[in-house]
Amino acid sequence: MFLDGRLSAVSLDEKHAKAPRPTPPTLSSIFRLTPIPTIVLDPSMTIVEVSDSHLALSGKSRDSLLHASIGDVEPAAIPAPNLPTLYGALRAACSTREVQLVKEAVSPGKAPDSLRVTPIFDESALIYLVLEAHRVTEGSAHNQHGYLNETYKILVDTVKDYAIFMLDPHGNIATWNPGASLLKGYTAEEIIGKHFSVFYGPEDRATGKPSKALAVSMREGRMEDEGWRYRRDGSRFWANVLITPIHQFGQHVGFVKVTRDLTERKEAEARMIAAFEESSRLKTDFLANISHEIRTPMNGMQMAMTMLADTGLTPQQREHAAIIEDSMSVLLQIVNDVLDYSKLSSGAFSLHTDVLDVNDLVGAVIRNCRSSLKEGVDLTADVAPGFPSRLRGDPLRYRQVLHNLVSNAVKFTEDGHIRISASCRPDDQDPTCYIVKTAVADTGIGVPDNAINTLFTPFSRFAHSPTRQYQGTGLGLSICQSLAELMDGAVGYAPNPEGRGSVFWFTAKMGGPSTASSPKTGSSAGAPPARHIADEMRTIAPHKHVLLVEDNMVNHMVMLKLLHSLGFERVDSAWNGEEAVTMIKKKPLSYDVVLMDVAMPVMDGVKATEQVREMGLQMPIIALTGNAMQGDAESYVAQGMNDCIGKPVQREHLLNTLWKWTGT
Amino acid sequence: MAPTETTKAKEEPAKTTKPRTLADMADSIDLATFDQILEMDEEGEHDFSQGIVYGFFEQAENTFTQMEIALKETNLGELSSLGHFLKGSSATIGLTKVKDACEKIQHYGAGKDETGNNDEPDLEVTLDKIKKTLETAKRDYKEVEASLREYFGDAAEPASSS
Repeated sequence: MFLDGRLSAVSLDEKHAKAPRPTPPTLSSIFRLTPIPTIVLDPSMTIVEVSDSHLALSGKSRDSLLHASIGDVEPAAIPAPNLPTLYGALRAACSTREVQLVKEAVSPGKAPDSLRVTPIFDESALIYLVLEAHRVTEGSAHNQHGYLNETYKILVDTVKDYAIFMLDPHGNIATWNPGASLLKGYTAEEIIGKHFSVFYGPEDRATGKPSKALAVSMREGRMEDEGWRYRRDGSRFWANVLITPIHQFGQHVGFVKVTRDLTERKEAEARMIAAFEESSRLKTDFLANISHEIRTPMNGMQMAMTMLADTGLTPQQREHAAIIEDSMSVLLQIVNDVLDYSKLSSGAFSLHTDVLDVNDLVGAVIRNCRSSLKEGVDLTADVAPGFPSRLRGDPLRYRQVLHNLVSNAVKFTEDGHIRISASCRPDDQDPTCYIVKTAVADTGIGVPDNAINTLFTPFSRFAHSPTRQYQGTGLGLSICQSLAELMDGAVGYAPNPEGRGSVFWFTAKMGGPSTASSPKTGSSAGAPPARHIADEMRTIAPHKHVLLVEDNMVNHMVMLKLLHSLGFERVDSAWNGEEAVTMIKKKPLSYDVVLMDVAMPVMDGVKATEQVREMGLQMPIIALTGNAMQGDAESYVAQGMNDCIGKPVQREHLLNTLWKWTGT
Repeated sequence: MAPTETTKAKEEPAKTTKPRTLADMADSIDLATFDQILEMDEEGEHDFSQGIVYGFFEQAENTFTQMEIALKETNLGELSSLGHFLKGSSATIGLTKVKDACEKIQHYGAGKDETGNNDEPDLEVTLDKIKKTLETAKRDYKEVEASLREYFGDAAEPASSS
């Protein structure tokens, strides 16, 4: 930068050279005599000239201002709102080389002024800065209110679908566009100057949402929100709102607010969601029905095949029969997988919490899978010492996931070993719960790198070997993932650190043993869980009083026999809902569990349940029903029943259900 | 669940031990369910299962007669509830064909199609379908009744078969 003296010397020389007349008014008198209050600064921000008009405006003497640094002059005398704003403007003028305008500079006791900062450059060198004070009249203040230049103003005024307007720093409305008039129903005259919280509902206002919105916008630079907003006539619309703070020269001057009406989009979304849910429900119903229809004949075929295999076939016939049998198993598996998958994806799957012993379940899975092991493959389990023997979780689903992972390992392992390991740690978030991690490591074919990302994607399969075909739907792992997530856990894969094969693991959140306050000790590891439950049931069943409500004589007799075979000795019979209610009324606290047919003459099971519940009795009531769809079971539960058993009643299912409701 | 259970079916020994006579009925009887009934018998006799099955015969014949009457009176509600009633007991014994036919009658009687999912507004169509399904049900029933009487006649003391 130049020094003062040199600068003025150069300019004087030039003036002399260009103005040869005897008494010429020098160009520098322009700044001395201009009616616009003006200050001229040199590059070091020192005042080198001040106009008479400025002295009149600021009431200062020329001596006090000349050669003073601009920073030492009080801002109101310049006039500028404050020093940071002024410096911001000066900096902006120097760096952009463009004229800057400082707004709302208020001179004491006078109408607001604006300050115009003009940088004067000679090539790349800054030589002067000219500061001029402009009186802003009432009219021009209103028209101009804006950092909006004309183009933007036209743009904003043309937009009819969006409300675009400005707020002052306190949230009062400062501008209004036609879109805002259309959307909110206020004219510019009615609304300007009002606080923008008039657009919010009473609840939002009570919680201070409008001022919070401004605060968030200030903190984060913008604020976006969706919610109900209100029109002038009181009607509401679903709005997307964007609030952005506006700064000028470092000073906060207000907000820009853009509001869109999303009511139609929201309605369309709701319609689409409803349509999707409906179609998903139809799909699930259809799949459930069709899978039943397919499974029934397939069971028949399977049985006939088993019979056929015993009729003295030739080796070749036997081989064909084995192929048919295998194919049927695969087909059945596919039907089951698809059914599970569709239930999981529609959210119709629910967990049944029960007491489970991971040791027992691992043992059961090993027994089940051992028969499919290839020769020379070793299948072992390692459950960490001190593993709680009685946790609360869904034994069926845990077993399903583990079974799937193990049978995958069995399928893909030609030699070596498969190891199941289970460990357990307390949940960080909930001290009453445990996270059970179960891993299956094998020395099989492993997973190629390019398949890792799609391992858990439905219907994706990677195992295509030229010599041996691995069958499957590609749904198994995806079902595992959904089931694990249902159990508040996760699934994962890692290459086997031993070098060959894979490790698949899953976690599940389970309730701690303390919640199952049972005096019974855990069974010896390795006993089948079903027999374990059956044995325990047999010890408690004689003390339990059961009411069986069933109108069909045949079913009634079979149920009685089944209950006796499970060890129940005190079973009362009712033949319709009304009889049941009467019996319960006589001995309200006597029954430990009620098995209730749903469709019965005189009074059906749902109605009877309702009446029992109205008496304030909470004993478990288990529905016996021929309609065994998932949704039916849930609707019975919603109507006061505790559980549901489908007909024909399977002994195991009855045992597990009764154990669940009377066993602990 | 995983598509790996291909060998499982072969491993299940229960099915191979069933008497040949029962296997012959595999298309109309769900053997797993029927087995469960047989397992309730005491060692070496069939008193309980035979009692249940013969009790069912009586019930089925009565129900079919009631269905005929209800059909003549075009009492659809009664037909539906009779269908449901017999569906329950036939399912318990494992008589799949009879159970399926009864389920259809239950749905038709409720003014639905055979799946129970869609409405069937035409009364004539409904009555015609019930009539045909009832015939099928009776035919299937007769068939399975004969096999079961033969089974119990063979396996237990001679039954008082008709």
